[in-house]
Amino acid sequence: MNIPTITGADFEPLLPAGILMLGAIVLILSEVYQRASEGARGYQAIIGFVFSVIAGIVALYTALEPSRTVFQGFGVMDPFSGAVTVTICVGLALSVLVAAGFLRHRNAERGEFYALMLFAGAGMSLLSLSNEFITLFINLEAMSVATYALTAYLRRGTRPSEAGFKYFILGAFSAAVLLYGAALLYGATGTTKISELTARLPAALQTNPALVYLGAGLIAVGFAFKVAAVPFHMWTPDVYEGAPTPVTALMSAGVKAAAFAAFVRAFLPFAGNLSADPQQHAHIMTTGFAVLALLTMLIGNLLAIPQRNVKRMLAYSSIAHAGYLLLGVAALFAKPVAGVTGVLAASPLIANANPEAMARQETLKGILFYLLAYTITSLGAFGTLAALERREDEPRGTAWDLDRFSGLGQRRPGWAIAMAAMMLSLGGIPPTVGFMGKLLIFRSAVDAGLVGLAIVGVLSSAAGVYYYLRVVVYMYMRPSPEGALVPDRQWTTELALVLTTAAVILLGVMPGPLSQWLTRAGVIFGH
Amino acid sequence: MSFFDSQILHLTIFLPILFGVLVAFLPSQEKGQIRTVTFIAMLVDALVGLAAYLQYDPKGPEFQLENRLNWMPDFGISFHTGVDGLAVSLILLTVFLGPLVVLASWTFINERVKEFHLALLFLQTAMIGALASLDIIVFYLFFEAMLIPMYLLIGVWGSEERQMAAVKFFLYTLVGSLLMLIAILGVYFIAQPAGARSFDYATVFNSLLGAQKELSACMNTGGCDTAHLSPLAMALKVYGPWMFLAFAVAFAVKVPLFPVHTWLPDAHVQAPVAGSMILAGVMLKMGTFGFWRFAVPLFPVHAREFRVAIAILGVIGIVYGALMCLAQRDVKKLIAYSSVSHLGYCMLGMFAFTAEGATGSAYQMLNHGVSTGALFLLFGMLYERRHTRLIADYGGIARVMPLFAAFFVIVTFSSIAVPGTNGFIGEFLVLLGTFKSSLKIGIGVFAATGVILGAAYMLWLVQRVFFGEVTLRENQRLFDLNFREVATTVPFLILILVMGLRPQMFLDYLNPASDRFVARALYGSNEANVTLDQVQMKVMPLAQVATAEQEEGQPPPRLQMGAQLPVLKKPAIVQPFHAEPFPAAAALKAQ
Repeated sequence: MNIPTITGADFEPLLPAGILMLGAIVLILSEVYQRASEGARGYQAIIGFVFSVIAGIVALYTALEPSRTVFQGFGVMDPFSGAVTVTICVGLALSVLVAAGFLRHRNAERGEFYALMLFAGAGMSLLSLSNEFITLFINLEAMSVATYALTAYLRRGTRPSEAGFKYFILGAFSAAVLLYGAALLYGATGTTKISELTARLPAALQTNPALVYLGAGLIAVGFAFKVAAVPFHMWTPDVYEGAPTPVTALMSAGVKAAAFAAFVRAFLPFAGNLSADPQQHAHIMTTGFAVLALLTMLIGNLLAIPQRNVKRMLAYSSIAHAGYLLLGVAALFAKPVAGVTGVLAASPLIANANPEAMARQETLKGILFYLLAYTITSLGAFGTLAALERREDEPRGTAWDLDRFSGLGQRRPGWAIAMAAMMLSLGGIPPTVGFMGKLLIFRSAVDAGLVGLAIVGVLSSAAGVYYYLRVVVYMYMRPSPEGALVPDRQWTTELALVLTTAAVILLGVMPGPLSQWLTRAGVIFGH
Repeated sequence: MSFFDSQILHLTIFLPILFGVLVAFLPSQEKGQIRTVTFIAMLVDALVGLAAYLQYDPKGPEFQLENRLNWMPDFGISFHTGVDGLAVSLILLTVFLGPLVVLASWTFINERVKEFHLALLFLQTAMIGALASLDIIVFYLFFEAMLIPMYLLIGVWGSEERQMAAVKFFLYTLVGSLLMLIAILGVYFIAQPAGARSFDYATVFNSLLGAQKELSACMNTGGCDTAHLSPLAMALKVYGPWMFLAFAVAFAVKVPLFPVHTWLPDAHVQAPVAGSMILAGVMLKMGTFGFWRFAVPLFPVHAREFRVAIAILGVIGIVYGALMCLAQRDVKKLIAYSSVSHLGYCMLGMFAFTAEGATGSAYQMLNHGVSTGALFLLFGMLYERRHTRLIADYGGIARVMPLFAAFFVIVTFSSIAVPGTNGFIGEFLVLLGTFKSSLKIGIGVFAATGVILGAAYMLWLVQRVFFGEVTLRENQRLFDLNFREVATTVPFLILILVMGLRPQMFLDYLNPASDRFVARALYGSNEANVTLDQVQMKVMPLAQVATAEQEEGQPPPRLQMGAQLPVLKKPAIVQPFHAEPFPAAAALKAQ
């Protein structure tokens, strides 16, 4: 039996995940030395925050190294996974900060909560660098199991247990679908390694196209569940509403980023090889992604409009934002060169040497930028929400009502400014980072000839502005209700709000450095 | 060039927001201090803006006071600013209104004073920035950024129905401008080869020129043989109309042109005095300015295709706005509908595509800012005393407030274009240009009826509000204008008379701009022979350093102003004592 040689270099990409796991172990051990009933636990959040930040910095350093495979091709080390890990660590650090104040208010601060968060983060980081379907599945589960537990963490009420159970059942189901798809794809191509698919797909498409498409379709469905794309979005509002708000923030930011990273990595081999299909079914996949993006953008935004519950509204808005990201993914598949009938068919662009690779890199940059922008913005929005809600109202579901925001501009001006910045950024209004993200995504979509889809995208985002602005209306243009409480201040939450607000505005005004860095990070191994 | 001279446009743009940072740190209860600091900020900005206006040489090249900073080089976006004659005139109008707006709300706004003034300062920066930007994305950013403070001005400090009006204003403008964003991306991709794309206005414009010529030659011959068109001309032929329409809708909402004007009466009526003044004074001009700067020059062939339609919509706006004015019982709504009518003249003059029409349109933009701004200001003073907007609640005001009545009547004369006031020059030039143009004569005739209707509704308003007996007891105890209010109004009156009696001072700035506008609008058509140097756009050459260095894997320098500062390799101590004390300056001189 051959024992594969594994060197220290193989562990390099695992470093951020390793640091996160180490932090989680430290947190669990800290609980051993802590008396259950008493004692301040504020340091636990700081431990979680520090480890997330260190992991993020390490990922930042390793991100721009040349890409290579590790562990016999089961994992990769490429700038793309590095950038995604940075995004995940940013989301993780911020949601730990939000969680600290949130849990203290409920007397529910425990080391294992932060430990679960960091474990989930490690799973996300590993998911972003998985290059083989079984590894990918295991990491997906590592991430998901931690999030299931986190969802039901405040287990006293009915809502958290309902949310946790729903998330678990549907998550398990979707993972099974994904695994089945991977099995079919293995049957067609004889490999589970993603980077080997590129070489084997042409032959497989010649002999057994149906199996390839069925497998790819099932994998896509599995991912669509994870990223909450319509029509696989049904679980999202209930789970997002029922989960503790910091966990919702982590789900909407980190889980989504990691799932999108794996999604893109798994499907990129198809983008270059569909022309090898003798029956020219290539358009099925392009159309599939386009339809998925269209439905997700439209339905996410339309369903968010009637919501008076801000947490549910943000849940639907996160569906809509998954739609914009899917628009970017669809742009990866629509080829800008030959055979397109879009605007660009007649443009001088054809003269360029390798426009396809360039357009792909630009699109990947757009997706990465949008993921980071959405992570920061949604963390800020959920952070304000977490700061505002009170435990007593949760069973009745009024903790997140729009009325809670009435007159916030006078009661807590700082929070209102933060929330207003987040709402404008989610709506894509300059000068916020959300606008820059949308600009990059729509730019790629127009470049790929998906003009119609881009128009639907901007119009649905205008519909989105309607419900985001409603929050601003309540904060600034409605008087505070009689006897409205001024909520407690928690320095951790406020730190998170300051950081996110500063990032949203600074990155909106000065996106240059980030965008340049992401241009170099938009490289996936093998492409 | 001194620092001040070279950075004068940046200063004009960013001074308000820099002062805004100062205001943000003042305690909220110190209302007087906040007002004073904001007023000083606006005043300083007005002086800097005036200096920029005077520094602009109307006989010189088209774009002056240029500056280019690298912003997102990998994306082809630079913070490129510069002004032509129209833009610098509109900037002058903006900075002129700035301090007066602060004065006008001195006693009117008593709640959330700090936030109010922050919004004003932010808005000022966004408006000047939009007028001064020479990069399409930078323009778009400022154009959208204007929405937020104006939305807050209407929604927080407005009247009863303010929330509805604010949201309506926001969404109308946003839907239009989002479509424009797609069109901007479209033109960015089709016009330029991959790898060297840029959102720079002049670059995009010049890259379209050849195809425009080709396309119009093919249109002029009647039947268009598409087989011989270049790929770019072909793409323009197919997608150009849609892109033009996307631009046109975005700006038409802002103007507002007839069918999409419905947000304006609500916004004006609900907005506080300051909001109405800025909205009428500057923000509506963003629409006409957008047509002038972007929609028409980028797509002249398609602008000519839709020319008659837009001119007719303009005329409908003129007549319909005037008729609506006759039917109003609410003073603010009446002034708002008169804006629709006045802006109709701007659109008509512009789409006449004659030098007179374009100049008149540009002059009318300035006029409307002054006269309607003054009308809203004056009515705001009355509203502050009586808190009613209904015409029926007034009557005989001239007896109790004679000075106020005199001011109002002078501004009314300006608004209805009585000779000797600024309004006359603008409307006269617009009508002259329309009759001289190739548009059907009926369009001009209908537009001319608007002048009569305008006199009718404004004079009727003055009669009902100011003359006759004082019928209501509440009106008998009104006190006349105080010093602050007089000081706020007098600049407007001076400007009305100066612009009416010495128009040449301003027309000198507008004439070259309108010649170039007409030349670009008619580029390649049968109607006029235009010289290429009028059409082509010459701006500072784009620094290629950024793209070249990026390929070597080094981050490009962020700051890029003409020459690059050389990096000092050796420590300064090693150099002999008598060497040039500032090597960087020497290197600059050498370049």
